[in-house]
Amino acid sequence: MSRQDHIREFAAQALADGRVDYFIGWKQGYNSSEVVPAFVKDPADVDQLIWTPLCHHNLVTFIKRNMPDPADAKIGLCVKGCDSRTLVALLQEELVDKEKLYVVGVPCDGIVDRRKLEKEFADELVDIAFPERGRVVVTTGKGETREFAQDDVLLDVCGRCRYPNALYADDVAGPLEAEPDREESGPDWSDIADFENLSDDEKQAALERVYATCIRCFACVHVCPVCVCWDKCVNRSREPELVAQKVGAKENLLFQMIHMFHVAGRCTSCGACDRACPVEIPLYLLHRKMNKEIYDMFGFEPGTKLDEKPVFQLFDLATDHFGD
Amino acid sequence: MADQTTTQANDAAVVAGDTAAAGTIDAASGAGAAVAADGAAGDRPVKIVGIVCNWCSYAGADTAGTGRFKQPPNLRLIRVPCTGRVDPLFALKAFEKGADGVLISGCHPGDCHYSEGNYYARRKFELLERMIHHLGIPKERFRWTWVSASEGQRWQQVVTEFVAGVEKLGPREGRAL
Repeated sequence: MSRQDHIREFAAQALADGRVDYFIGWKQGYNSSEVVPAFVKDPADVDQLIWTPLCHHNLVTFIKRNMPDPADAKIGLCVKGCDSRTLVALLQEELVDKEKLYVVGVPCDGIVDRRKLEKEFADELVDIAFPERGRVVVTTGKGETREFAQDDVLLDVCGRCRYPNALYADDVAGPLEAEPDREESGPDWSDIADFENLSDDEKQAALERVYATCIRCFACVHVCPVCVCWDKCVNRSREPELVAQKVGAKENLLFQMIHMFHVAGRCTSCGACDRACPVEIPLYLLHRKMNKEIYDMFGFEPGTKLDEKPVFQLFDLATDHFGD
Repeated sequence: MADQTTTQANDAAVVAGDTAAAGTIDAASGAGAAVAADGAAGDRPVKIVGIVCNWCSYAGADTAGTGRFKQPPNLRLIRVPCTGRVDPLFALKAFEKGADGVLISGCHPGDCHYSEGNYYARRKFELLERMIHHLGIPKERFRWTWVSASEGQRWQQVVTEFVAGVEKLGPREGRAL
């Protein structure tokens, strides 16, 4: 039985039993090259749920705020390993109610970066197929077909994955993926080394160039699974005007830095902001740097242990020696 | 107790006001500003934002003022109830608005008026400092430290050192933030 079949079975069962009011998964988009989130309310509709290496959406985003309608709705959802960390981060701070959730963990062997594929072709993609594990076959509108190895077109975040299996789940869709030895090796931060090695002036110039393109669409904030106070967001407050309405490199970077600090300790650098950005700002690297420093300061990986408190909500007199 | 604190605070404001008026403001509205407007960094005095807690560092600055310890006039103080109230946004916003340096100071660990505000704060400041450096803002332009109400001399030393460090780099021609 494939993982997809497991997901469908769990969803149908939970809906039929009344355990959930609706189930959130993934379904095919406007063509078979794209996947979109799916909200299933009827057990008869579970056949639209799919699982492919294109299911990049972090569905925890849909439960981060009191969006359920009605407000006390019981929700089922699928989580990959990285998604489960954001869910754990929300649970650590009691920002979601565990009792109203039904979580299906989906072991994941890496998500394909559709943007990497798009850049390979001049034409639009109409089909992305996965004939077997590790192979990706892409077809364009003009009928051009090319094959890639899945490892070559993975998301950057997947190349450094430490948690392929869900850390918190009620049911698991199929056998677990092989876990890396986390005791032996810490997180791999080599992707931010390039930027870290620049001089101060080069950093400023690079940031100015990149952040000048931000159009302040707030997609990164909306899609962020752990950015929770979105309805009272400081970035959109006009009274007081904390972040200027003007769109410039400085203002944009300030906005991103604020977003970064507001999710510090919850952010798992899942890369959702990065994938949502229409102008392809590598936001993910900024958040990676923050998590590197948090790991360095506290040895803390956000969203990995359910009974932990995020590091900025507590202090430790014995081990905190900052500023001494 | 409350009256005494208010009086001290007013004194500090007067002392700070005198020195600032004599130094930065006049120069900035005069020749210095004109040079900066032309695009060159020029010789304008550096502008530094100090964020200090009401109970220790603000009173420490007051002690320094009452003791007539000579200090550079480049610092503008913002008084907050506690370092625990300092949002990283404050420092970043100051840089965005063109501050040449940001100094944050509060009660020593263990002396917080609210018992534990600075224990939370120092964790945030450490991350803030590291991220500010990651953005390409040199170490000399951001500092956070502890100064108690009685440490007038230490306040003088902290401010003098910090301002000297920023002056060495000169006014900031920041491109991003």
